[in-house]
Amino acid sequence: MTELEQRLLSLGPELALPPEPDVAAAVLARLEERRRRPFPWRRVAIAIALVAVAIAAAFAVPQARSTILRWFHLRGATIERVETLPPAVERSQAGGLGQPSSIAAAERIVGFHLALPPFEDGGPKRAYVLDGVLASVIVQAHGRSVLLSEFRSSDFEFLKKVTDSETSVEPVRIDGDPGFWVEGPRHALIYPGGYGERRTILIHGNVLLWVHGDLTLRLEGKLTKAEALRVARTVR
Amino acid sequence: MVDRPLDDAKLVELARRGDLRAWETIVRTYQGIAFRTAYLLSGSAADAEEAAQDGFVKAYRALGRFRRGSPLRPWLLRIVANEARNRRRSAGRRDQLALRAVAADRPGDAVPSPEAALLAGESRERLLEAVNRLSDDHRDAVACRFFLELSEEETAAALGIRRGTVKSRLARALDRLREDLEEEEEP
Repeated sequence: MTELEQRLLSLGPELALPPEPDVAAAVLARLEERRRRPFPWRRVAIAIALVAVAIAAAFAVPQARSTILRWFHLRGATIERVETLPPAVERSQAGGLGQPSSIAAAERIVGFHLALPPFEDGGPKRAYVLDGVLASVIVQAHGRSVLLSEFRSSDFEFLKKVTDSETSVEPVRIDGDPGFWVEGPRHALIYPGGYGERRTILIHGNVLLWVHGDLTLRLEGKLTKAEALRVARTVR
Repeated sequence: MVDRPLDDAKLVELARRGDLRAWETIVRTYQGIAFRTAYLLSGSAADAEEAAQDGFVKAYRALGRFRRGSPLRPWLLRIVANEARNRRRSAGRRDQLALRAVAADRPGDAVPSPEAALLAGESRERLLEAVNRLSDDHRDAVACRFFLELSEEETAAALGIRRGTVKSRLARALDRLREDLEEEEEP
């Protein structure tokens, strides 16, 4: 260790820092208060109803019923391969993603810490929250803007991706966790559009969908599979 | 000797199963370093306290994502530091926290002569002023690594950067400090 490093080390204990507060009691009080809250039956009921409506709508149309070729399922997300994509609208990358807010505010709303890749510049400053459940941020990766969306994994379907035969769906593993790499010219994404509606949009980029702890993550953008996997492995 | 990693691992397992007392022990163990890290990154005692509190609450909820066998302290510091940086950004604070030293001698120090004490004090002030003149990135790296004595891994976690970036930032910061101090000493 150099003399300068030793001088810096010895400065540490001499710094004038404010007295350290005891936060343990406040932390415990907040966690105990959250435990006492009733289970969010309403939110779960709405989500289940949304899925039921979507599935009923899909199977009510004979063409849709006959053309579902294959299902892939990940916690809270389903990928369905069909002969013909459903009608879908285009959207800009940040359009239709929900209410913009700061990262901290978004985390408070969705109730989990956003899993993000490391950043040189402090990371994204804005997040979008949909239905108080799905948080999305635009991040820079490999010189491109890509969209990272995340929600708490669940047993009911939250997102549905519909692909045609031009799009490949490949199972992948990210640090042991399961995922799917979806690559092709276009596919449709069906997700809650707010106020109990389902929205179907057309996606032109490739998508990596994977499970990360108790979250399900989705990375969308013009990345190659290797680039997307590299980003996914750095997410913490 | 207490085996800290094993103790942490047991406490984390208990907390995962809902034992809030186990989590309280973890909070009490790490709240000091968490607050100091948050203070140096946010520049505000109130923000640092909030960041530490929010960080420990979020960490408890995220225990399902904590990798078994990993060291707990860098993971906690990453979450708390992220909260602190968010607060600094949302408050729009661009001014750095100006670090100051306390005048008191440290316990155990030999009693210096008045001249030696004066020289040591001046040298300390010059070094601290040079640290305060560093860019935010360099100053944060120096503060975490040397003032808080975090490991490289913990510094990387606290600053949300790679370990290699910590090394390069520290190397550049030390070069800058040397140049700055040499310039001052020139007549």
